[in-house]
Amino acid sequence: MEFLLEIRTEELPAAHVRMALEQLDVKFQAELRSAGIAVRELATGGTCRRLVVTADLAVSQEDAGVVVTGPPKATALLPDGTYSPAAIGFARARGIPIEALEIVVTPRGEYLGTRTVRKGKSAAEVLTGSIPGIIASLSFPRTMRWRESPFRFSRPIKGILALFDGKVLPVAFEGMSASDSTVGHPVFAPGPVRVAGISEYRDKLVKALVIVDFDDRRKAILSQIEERLAPIKARIYPDDELLDRLAYNVEFPFVFQGAFPERYLELPIEVLATAMREGQKLFSVVRDRKQLPVFLGIADAPGDPRGLIRAGNERVLKARLEDARFFWGQDVRKPLSERAAGLKNVVFQEKLGSYEDKAQRMKKIVGYLSDRTDSAKVKKEAVEAAGLCKADLLTDMVREFPSLQGKMGGLYAKAEGYPAAVHQAVYEHYRPASLEDEIPSSMTGALVSLADKIDSIVGAVGVGLQVSGSSDPFGLRRNAHGICAIIIEKKLDLSFHLLLDKVLSVLGDKLLRPKAEVKAVCLEFFEARLRYIFEKQGLRYDLVEAALGPGIDRIAHSFRRVRALDGLKSSPDFEPFILMAKRINNILKEAPACRLDPERFIEKEERELHSNLVIIRDNAGPMIEKGDFARAQSIILRLRPSLNAFFDKVLVMAEDKKVRQNRLGLLQAIRKLLLEIADYSRVVVEGERNGKPGNPR
Amino acid sequence: MALQDLILKLLAFWAGEGCYLAPTYDMEVGAGTMTPDSFFRVLGKKPWNVAYVQPARRPTDGRYGENPHRVQKHHQFQVIMKPAPADIQATYVRSLSALGIELRDHDLRFDEDDWESPTIGAWGVGWQVMLDGLEISQFTYFQQAGGIELAPVPVEITYGLERLEMFLEQKDDIYDLDWSKDVTYRDLRLAEEKEFSEYNFTAADTSLLRVSFQGCEKEAAALAEEGLLLPAYDMCLKCSHLFNLLDARGAISVTERVKMIGRIRSRVNDIARKFAASGRGD
Repeated sequence: MEFLLEIRTEELPAAHVRMALEQLDVKFQAELRSAGIAVRELATGGTCRRLVVTADLAVSQEDAGVVVTGPPKATALLPDGTYSPAAIGFARARGIPIEALEIVVTPRGEYLGTRTVRKGKSAAEVLTGSIPGIIASLSFPRTMRWRESPFRFSRPIKGILALFDGKVLPVAFEGMSASDSTVGHPVFAPGPVRVAGISEYRDKLVKALVIVDFDDRRKAILSQIEERLAPIKARIYPDDELLDRLAYNVEFPFVFQGAFPERYLELPIEVLATAMREGQKLFSVVRDRKQLPVFLGIADAPGDPRGLIRAGNERVLKARLEDARFFWGQDVRKPLSERAAGLKNVVFQEKLGSYEDKAQRMKKIVGYLSDRTDSAKVKKEAVEAAGLCKADLLTDMVREFPSLQGKMGGLYAKAEGYPAAVHQAVYEHYRPASLEDEIPSSMTGALVSLADKIDSIVGAVGVGLQVSGSSDPFGLRRNAHGICAIIIEKKLDLSFHLLLDKVLSVLGDKLLRPKAEVKAVCLEFFEARLRYIFEKQGLRYDLVEAALGPGIDRIAHSFRRVRALDGLKSSPDFEPFILMAKRINNILKEAPACRLDPERFIEKEERELHSNLVIIRDNAGPMIEKGDFARAQSIILRLRPSLNAFFDKVLVMAEDKKVRQNRLGLLQAIRKLLLEIADYSRVVVEGERNGKPGNPR
Repeated sequence: MALQDLILKLLAFWAGEGCYLAPTYDMEVGAGTMTPDSFFRVLGKKPWNVAYVQPARRPTDGRYGENPHRVQKHHQFQVIMKPAPADIQATYVRSLSALGIELRDHDLRFDEDDWESPTIGAWGVGWQVMLDGLEISQFTYFQQAGGIELAPVPVEITYGLERLEMFLEQKDDIYDLDWSKDVTYRDLRLAEEKEFSEYNFTAADTSLLRVSFQGCEKEAAALAEEGLLLPAYDMCLKCSHLFNLLDARGAISVTERVKMIGRIRSRVNDIARKFAASGRGD
């Protein structure tokens, strides 16, 4: 049976539409499942003005057999086989002829009783009851009240359409009653649209200039873009975020093409693209990686019959570009180095001082990083970039277009004639802006970015700012992700512990908490971030735990560790090897550290295991040192036969204390070697997986 | 249609919707929201519908009359309706039609934009209204003013008159607008923009501005103590404008900026609390 729900609203922000649709999907699925209504299909869709759920549901819950028990058999029947007054009373109370009663067997004994069938609740009833609660439970990053009610939502709700099997569900919500009626596009088809089912809803709305499904609108936009640009062999500068946002913001997309005077092409492509994207939400158009004096916009209309939409947008864009040109002209008059002096008046964070303070710290950290990453030859440039990189915060262009921070500094530095290693570093130092974003391509950019981010994180933790739940006002998670991505992708082999020590000492008296405490919090924070990043890459949580076991001093190594484990997981050696590691771990659980003395071996198997260990350790050692864990691991796997023989033939817990301690010492040496690659005991193997996880952390 | 015709049409339209047409407030403000006809009247339960033209001064936007879009003083058409009528969005759209805009030839959009004025402890949720890519209005469901949760919720609609008129006249330069049949915006405003830009950016005496700020701040506190809430609020408006002038002169560091705004806000919030406690808005 068809279920259709439409919550009509005033214009919701695009991000809120997406969130609401995700929540509606999850909540209806859960609600129907728990009510026992079979869901054959359920989908969500919508625009900024309507949130839509469509589904194919069972008509009702399954019927259920119900047993009602009366008096126990012993008191229900008199010795002569006739019914007792208790039994007669029960039958009367139930309104059932006494002959219809039967003896039912329950775990408590035999009773006189009756079996009935309880009709399942209808889906219509379940839906009517649950819709108000589901709407009220939708959450948004920011909500509002309207009129007199304390009820909060992203924007005002205008109406509710709710149908099941073609009939209106009697839903009442916040003074509104559901109906079978909606409206079309507010400008082009504002009149009421009455519908009886899902396909009629879609069809009538398309005629009323509303395309209900997001994917359909997105496709329509893309094909119109293609249509406009094919004749000039150009394409839009890709911007999926903008495309998605616009596909939510319009109900009936129309792509229009406009132009701007060629003289503005003198402006950097970054400035042009930003001026178009921000404010007017236009796409810039490129051919052979060169900007054309052309843009595309998306209107919420069936067309632009008089060209007024295009002309209006052209006029606004021209004004913005004129402003940008003015800012560029103003900004280049004052050298960046001179501008940087003004950073002392710009607060970075109340307790961490100004951006000037931050820049000074970054210079020291960048110097340190250059020495530790074989980058001594670009140290001078990297340090210079660190000193300049925040100066663009004081330019008119960045004040107007804050998203151009960093990039503008780089462009101005280039215009001033700084070497590439400097201006590129300034340009790239905010990268990566997210886990999906690219890391800086230049080494100097990577170093400045690292210094900027680690200073922010350690500084924030040091003055007591913490990340918790959804609150991360300082963007510390994003910064930590950036640091991990840079270290991993640039394969920087530096000690994270020592880097933290350096940053702590550079921050010095700005810190309000003891250094050791700050360091511990930072390490824990980064471990959690690495866990998140690896799991986001689709790696199994237990492999991630195992790889993080040896600590995160070398972040690039943590990545190689988890990759090595992941590479092994489908090999036939994997499971037996893990079980072996677990066995060793179990035996050693309570054991104190024991000394290993090869002279004390008695059995052939323990002697062999030891000599194998020595050889394997010698071979694997250099690879572990290099971070080639995959190869080190494959060498260590060769321990298995002699370990097997050892466990078969040798009793670890021998009577003789010295013999026992020597054997424990041997296993401890093996565990130590294994731990240099990963904590294999945290890997979950078949049979264990459905039970408790390997490690509850 | 000249700018004054635009004003006349908006006044007639909103009077028709039941708004009282208020005279322009006679003090420097950064936005129509700050005048007492908006600020005090959104507090409390008493219904209130008002429309008026309000010049808005933003000293840092001065461009010596050389920028065709930016001016240190522009004009807003301000509408407040409390409680916000259920169909207010449609009413607003009708007001555009009443100006002769044939919406079927254009792209009208309500783009998310949450509005906030930290100086008067106010914020709301709503949109910037875009017509063919040009922001012509701000449409806000007020949630808080003077730090007080507003119930019922008022709606505030602010039309940028110059913007809208440039759209209607299809002109690229603000100074080419016609204020009336025979008076241009240039005649009226160009000299003013030049002189005030000079004043805002270079001539204003910063030490006098600072002293005045402190004086008005003190006076605001003293008047509020005596229960003279409207005069106390006027003092806060003076502070706000003095602050804007100091800002334009580049005399305020970023730290100081946050502190000064906080000082004005705490005076304003105190006045709003006293006003609400007195029940004058109910």
